[in-house]
Amino acid sequence: MGKGKNGGDAPGIRMFSQAPQRPTGDGLAPPAASPTEITRGVVTILLALYLVGLLLCVAGNSASGSSALVRTTKARLFSPWMVPLWLDLAYDTRLTYGTPDDANHFLELRPWNAPASATGATLRLPAPGMRGERAARWRRLARALVVGQDDSDREGLLPAAVAEGLFASLGAEDLSLRVLRTIPPDRDVASAGGRGTVEQAYACRVRRVAGEVQLLPLPPAAEVAPLVAGDAAMSPVPRSK
Amino acid sequence: MNPLPLAEFAPAGSLPQPTCHTPPMNAPTSPPPDAATAIGAWWNHFWFLPAEALLLAKVRWLAGGLALLLWWSYGPDLITWFGPQGLVSPEVSSQWRPTYGLSLWDATAAPAGIWTLYASGALALLALTIGFGTPVTAVLAALFFASLLHRGPMLAGPADDVTALILWCLAIGRSGDALSVDSFLAARAGRPAQPPGVRNRIGLSLLRVHASVLAAAAALAQLKGDVWWDGSAAWWLAARADLWMTNLAPLLANAEYLTNLLTHGVTLFEIIFALGVWIGPVRRSVAGAGLVAWPLIGLLAGEPFWGAAMAIMALACLAEE
Repeated sequence: MGKGKNGGDAPGIRMFSQAPQRPTGDGLAPPAASPTEITRGVVTILLALYLVGLLLCVAGNSASGSSALVRTTKARLFSPWMVPLWLDLAYDTRLTYGTPDDANHFLELRPWNAPASATGATLRLPAPGMRGERAARWRRLARALVVGQDDSDREGLLPAAVAEGLFASLGAEDLSLRVLRTIPPDRDVASAGGRGTVEQAYACRVRRVAGEVQLLPLPPAAEVAPLVAGDAAMSPVPRSK
Repeated sequence: MNPLPLAEFAPAGSLPQPTCHTPPMNAPTSPPPDAATAIGAWWNHFWFLPAEALLLAKVRWLAGGLALLLWWSYGPDLITWFGPQGLVSPEVSSQWRPTYGLSLWDATAAPAGIWTLYASGALALLALTIGFGTPVTAVLAALFFASLLHRGPMLAGPADDVTALILWCLAIGRSGDALSVDSFLAARAGRPAQPPGVRNRIGLSLLRVHASVLAAAAALAQLKGDVWWDGSAAWWLAARADLWMTNLAPLLANAEYLTNLLTHGVTLFEIIFALGVWIGPVRRSVAGAGLVAWPLIGLLAGEPFWGAAMAIMALACLAEE
């Protein structure tokens, strides 16, 4: 390596490496040895690799879809190490599109054939009064039950697991499970005193027969109740969990 | 890309003084620096200029606290979700997450094992927050956090995503060199404070890249929805948000222009933020605005933790250069 332009024996990066190894006057440790050319080269390659992965995540995980080439490249080369670290994200935080899909979802379970008025036998999740991130996770779970119906690999899997997990809580092994969502009114309707509605997004019957859990999808229902006032007042179902 | 020498970062006085030299009229002139050289110099400056640990330490305190809150939100329902009769059984979880998804919680469905892992993760996050054993606990905290999200991917939200990114960036930097138990113990032992480091710069720069990408991707995603064009998105956010945080719905129901203003303001801010953190003269101003604007957007959207996480990203964009 020839004489550097800074007068040392090597290019500029070596200068930090040659710093005196003694404490400085302001109480700082001696400057850490700067990375060598080789180290910086390796780090540069790793950073470039990650940035390509990041770009492919943004392009490939978008809800609007992407080309097969992008998806395949990402899946083969980047997902194996980005997924386990929770780095294979979509990044497209849309917040809302104002569609029913963006409404707040919640679960409602009751023993099959129990009258809707039998409030004590009904479980609502998130429970009325549950707030914050904990309630948000239950809402995401409820929404996942609906979204999962569009995927043949997942269809029915989550509703059956949720109902089976709550057999004991409800004291029955034949349950009605519904996912409801609160649809806010249009702004001009709200300004005229209009209220939102509660819509059934998914319904099924889950029962255990001879040790086997069976899921019976129920036909979709239309709007089920008017939204009276606020989220908590929407359903008179008390928290039983 | 071939890394370039860091001549511009040399200690003052170590560079030879330039001399006034007028070449002969017929002498060949040196070619102007080409684009590749300029990009290489920028790359070196952006990723390898040593940075103080103080700002990263502030990010550590805030992100660690936020991660602990998100971690805590799993606690009350941990067994209901992941226990032996859990709603999100390992089979469901494996169907839901992408290939290569892994979780430490896959190893056990017993309540004792679940709680042990949960407590271990909480300890790692707490240790990271206060800066105890930071080089190790930062990695452990990021691993535990990603692992918990993988155990129930359908439960994770945007705040979890952003927080996971921040934790990995903290694992790269040396945030424990300042405002930490580690630095306190080192000072008591008479060891000198750590000088600026390249790892801190890489951590901060990664945070800036992600902050910009997150803002840009959010803006692009929103622009695909009609409600962000017709100005009504703020209404749909306010009407949906939890009442305990902000209840702007009654206000916005009778204020069309305010609704439009908020809607377009959110999108405009995201675009300005995504670009502004790369423009030297306005970078710190834009990042400073992000400290206020992101939490407000989070409150409006009913995602306060996401807003807080984005504000922490904005804080990292305040790094000195």
